[in-house]
Amino acid sequence: MITRPTTDVLIEDCCRELTEAILPGLTDETLKLRLVMTETVLRNAAVRAAHEIAWMREETTALLDYAGRVAARHGSEALRAALAEVGPTDSLHLADVADRYERAGQAFTAALAAAQEAGDADLVAEARELLRDRIATEKEVMATYEVVGR
Amino acid sequence: MDALGPRFERFLAAVEPDRAGRVIACEAITGGYSRISARALVRWRGGAEETFILRGDPPPGSGVFTSDRDAEWDLLTALSAATSIATPAARWYDRSGEYLGSKAIVMDCVAAVSLQDEMARAARVDTGAGPLADLFVDTFAQVHQTPLDLLPARMPRPPDGPAYLDGVLAGYDRMAGKYPSSAPVLRYVSWWARAHQPPPVPLGLVHGDCQPSNVLVGPSGPPLVIDWEFGHIGDPREDLGYYTQIPLQPNVYWADPERFLGRYRAATGLTEEQVNPRVVDYFLIIGMAALLEQLLVAAAAIGAAERPGILASYLINAISHQHDMFLAICDRLS
Repeated sequence: MITRPTTDVLIEDCCRELTEAILPGLTDETLKLRLVMTETVLRNAAVRAAHEIAWMREETTALLDYAGRVAARHGSEALRAALAEVGPTDSLHLADVADRYERAGQAFTAALAAAQEAGDADLVAEARELLRDRIATEKEVMATYEVVGR
Repeated sequence: MDALGPRFERFLAAVEPDRAGRVIACEAITGGYSRISARALVRWRGGAEETFILRGDPPPGSGVFTSDRDAEWDLLTALSAATSIATPAARWYDRSGEYLGSKAIVMDCVAAVSLQDEMARAARVDTGAGPLADLFVDTFAQVHQTPLDLLPARMPRPPDGPAYLDGVLAGYDRMAGKYPSSAPVLRYVSWWARAHQPPPVPLGLVHGDCQPSNVLVGPSGPPLVIDWEFGHIGDPREDLGYYTQIPLQPNVYWADPERFLGRYRAATGLTEEQVNPRVVDYFLIIGMAALLEQLLVAAAAIGAAERPGILASYLINAISHQHDMFLAICDRLS
């Protein structure tokens, strides 16, 4: 396959086309607004395209590690079941990575509930740190998001 | 004049058959994320002219934010008939969408400007937004004190404040069960919020989109409160929390939180324990619950046959933004 330009660069080029060539020619305010929103979505998608598989795999490892440690200390049936649902996979196809990431998130959620129920402040605090990392990633995707159209 | 003009003319013939209303101009109003709005100039037999605002649902399956037009109409008519809350006169309602293409409310277009614009103008000329901030606070304090027995009987009435909060937090758990991408954050936040509930206050009428853009001010008369689609009976502090995240400048809460809340307490009789910056921070979580759920529903529909439109994709960032705000609140108030 043609590897360069990479997907993110192609999308960013589309963004430039939209903002530099098409937007100035529009007169309809509603269409202008929709184009600005579309360009923002594409810009976010470019960031995701460049990194999302790596980000999801890294976070999946961290979430499962946490859930495993909680299970060892405060094992619950719900947590064991959620961990069993994750399963191993080496696939790097986006849908497979996203699916495993979501299952790991569910295991993490069950682990958090177990830690909260047990009153384990250290494990709850650890969960908060993992959520902090997740938000940092989401903010990286948001890039320069600003509310338009309100 | 787009296709809405002739349809509105047929609607006028049905609701005002003796006045021979002709639609002279009809144009879409851009802005806003939920309803489709248009402004129409009508000339009646005899030459009198009136301007109306048409506020309708977007086509089924499109858009992000949904609300019940019947409920909004009932609330608007109840407010104008029985309370001191001023709204632009709601004139007619196409209840079936037979004429206007979707359920649509027709209101008077008033000679007034948005309080947000007035605040921005005051900030530009350096006169300060203080008196306008007071007007905003007083207006919503009045909304919140609306006697509940004057509101439409069909509005859901929670038993009390704590039960209402429990319901909102249970809603977050329900969302967590349905939307895996948000589940970790929502479970954490709902657990935290249950453990940090502020002292209760009496239930009140909540506007649901509390911001100065939804208040119109004219040269005379009381301020007019518009956009009631998310109005409900709940904890009035939701509106305060909701307003803190409104990005339009100036945001008069952030300009001086103590002044803002002091005036609100004086107007409502609530105590400092019940209304203070930390409590308002907490109620951002409560006040955003309904909108967050709609964002999640819309995001889940992206890629389906009936796509919700570009707004749903655009507002995925708003979901991330809310995750960030909610967790920051948990940190600040812990």
